[in-house]
Amino acid sequence: MEIQHIMQVVDASFVARQSIEKSLREIDRRALNAMVLVKRHGNTLAGYGVVAQAFRERAANLKESASHLQETIAPLIQAHMRILQHQRFVASFSAIAQAMAQYGQICASLENIRTRWRDTIAREEVEARKILLRLIATVDVLQEGIEEQEYVVTNGRIEAALAEDTGAPLMRVSRDMGEAVRTVSNAIRTYRHQLESLAYESSTDI
Amino acid sequence: MKAAPIFEAGSHRWWILYDQEERRVIDANVYVMESNGQSLILDPGGFEVFPQVFAALVEVIPPSSLKAAFVSHQDPDIASSLPLWHACNAQIQWHIPKLWEGFIRHYGALEAPLQNIPDEGGDVLIGGRRLEFIPAHYLHSSANFHVYDPEAKVLFSGDVGAALLPPGHDAWVGRRDRTGRAFDEHIAKAKYFHQRWMPSNAAKKDWINRVSQLEIEHLCPQHGAIYSGENVQRFLNWFDELTVGMGIRP
Ligand SMILES: [Fe+2]
Ligand SMILES: [Fe+2]
Repeated sequence: MEIQHIMQVVDASFVARQSIEKSLREIDRRALNAMVLVKRHGNTLAGYGVVAQAFRERAANLKESASHLQETIAPLIQAHMRILQHQRFVASFSAIAQAMAQYGQICASLENIRTRWRDTIAREEVEARKILLRLIATVDVLQEGIEEQEYVVTNGRIEAALAEDTGAPLMRVSRDMGEAVRTVSNAIRTYRHQLESLAYESSTDI
Repeated sequence: MKAAPIFEAGSHRWWILYDQEERRVIDANVYVMESNGQSLILDPGGFEVFPQVFAALVEVIPPSSLKAAFVSHQDPDIASSLPLWHACNAQIQWHIPKLWEGFIRHYGALEAPLQNIPDEGGDVLIGGRRLEFIPAHYLHSSANFHVYDPEAKVLFSGDVGAALLPPGHDAWVGRRDRTGRAFDEHIAKAKYFHQRWMPSNAAKKDWINRVSQLEIEHLCPQHGAIYSGENVQRFLNWFDELTVGMGIRP
C-alpha cells in the first residue's frame, strides 16, 4: 500500500479526532444550556425538558463511543509502520539480488529470504486490514449515534414550535443544537470516506 | 508508549513520548515541540521502536506538521529510525552534528535532507520560534548538541541526565516532592550511566558553566525522567560533584 496514502489517513485521523472531540464538547454545552432554559421556565416547558434530557444523554454516549476511536487508530498506525520497516528489508535484499544479477549470479537462499519477508508483509497487511475494518466499525457506531442525535434535534424543533407562546428562545436553542450535531456529523462522514478509500486500496493489494 | 505535555502556552507546546513497550532495546524518550502548527521532533529514536513512537506522536500532532528533526548525536537509539521517518515525510529537515554526517548516512535514506550543525552550535526556526543548538561535545559523543527553548525554558539534554528506569516509569522525577527525596532515589539510577558513558570531566565542567547561565524550568533527558523546577539545580549540583570516565582507572 502507498505510504503517502497511509500518511493522509493518519493526518485525517488526527483532524477527525480533534474536530469530533471539539464538537462533542460543543454538543454537551448546548445540551446543558437547553436544560438550564427549561428549568428556568418551570413546568411550562416540560415537553422540551424531555428532549433536552435525551439530547444530553445521547451526547454522553457519543463521547463514550468517540473515546474508543483512538484505541483502534494507534494499532492501525503501528501495523502500517511495522510493514514499512519490513519493506526496507525486502528493498535491501532486492538491491543485493540486482547487484548480483549484473554479474550473472543468482543466490537461491537470498531469494528465499526475500520471499519469506514478502510473505511476512502479506500477513501483516491482512492483519492491518482487519484493524482498519474494526476502525470503520467504530466510526459506524459513532455515526449511528449521530443519527439518533439528529432525530432528537428534530423532536426538539417540534416541541419548540409548540411552546413558542411561552416566549422562551427555544427555536434558537434548537437551531444551535442542530448546528453542533451537523458539524460532528460532517467530520465523521469525511473521515469515513477517507478510511473507506484506504480499505478499498488494501483490498486490491491483498 | 505514552504521550504527556511538558509545556503549553497558546500554540507553543512541548511533549514527551515515553515508556517504550519494547524492552530488548534501551528505553528512550522522544520529545516534540510544536509552534503555530509546525513541529520539531527531537532524537526520534531507533529503527525497532519506530512504529510505537510514530503511533504515540500521532496522538499529539498531525505528522504532516513535522518540519524538522533534531539528532543530538550519532547513536542508533537516536537516529536509526531516520530512513523510516524519511519514507513517511521526505520534507523533514534533519539537523545533525556536522561531524557525524557520513556516519548517520549509514542508517539509510542517502537522499534525506541533512542540515549540518557546526561544532560551535546554531539555531533553527520552527513556527516562528527560535531554538538554540547548544554544544555538549563529549557528553557523551564527541560531537553532541542539546536544544534550548528560551521561551518555554526547556533544555533537551540528550544523554545528560539519563537514567535507566524500569517499565511503567513516570515521565517526571518526583514533581510534587519538595524534600528532594524523590530526586535522591532517582539519581541512584542515573549514576552508573553518567560515570561510564560520559568520558570527560573537563567537558562536564564546561557544560555546567554554560548551562548554569540559562533559565531552565525543565531539563529533559533522552532516557529516564524529566527534572523540573528545583530538581534542575539538584541535578546540576549532583553532576558537578560526580567523577566521570570510569572506564579507565588512572
Ligand atoms: Fe548516546
Ligand atoms: Fe541515548
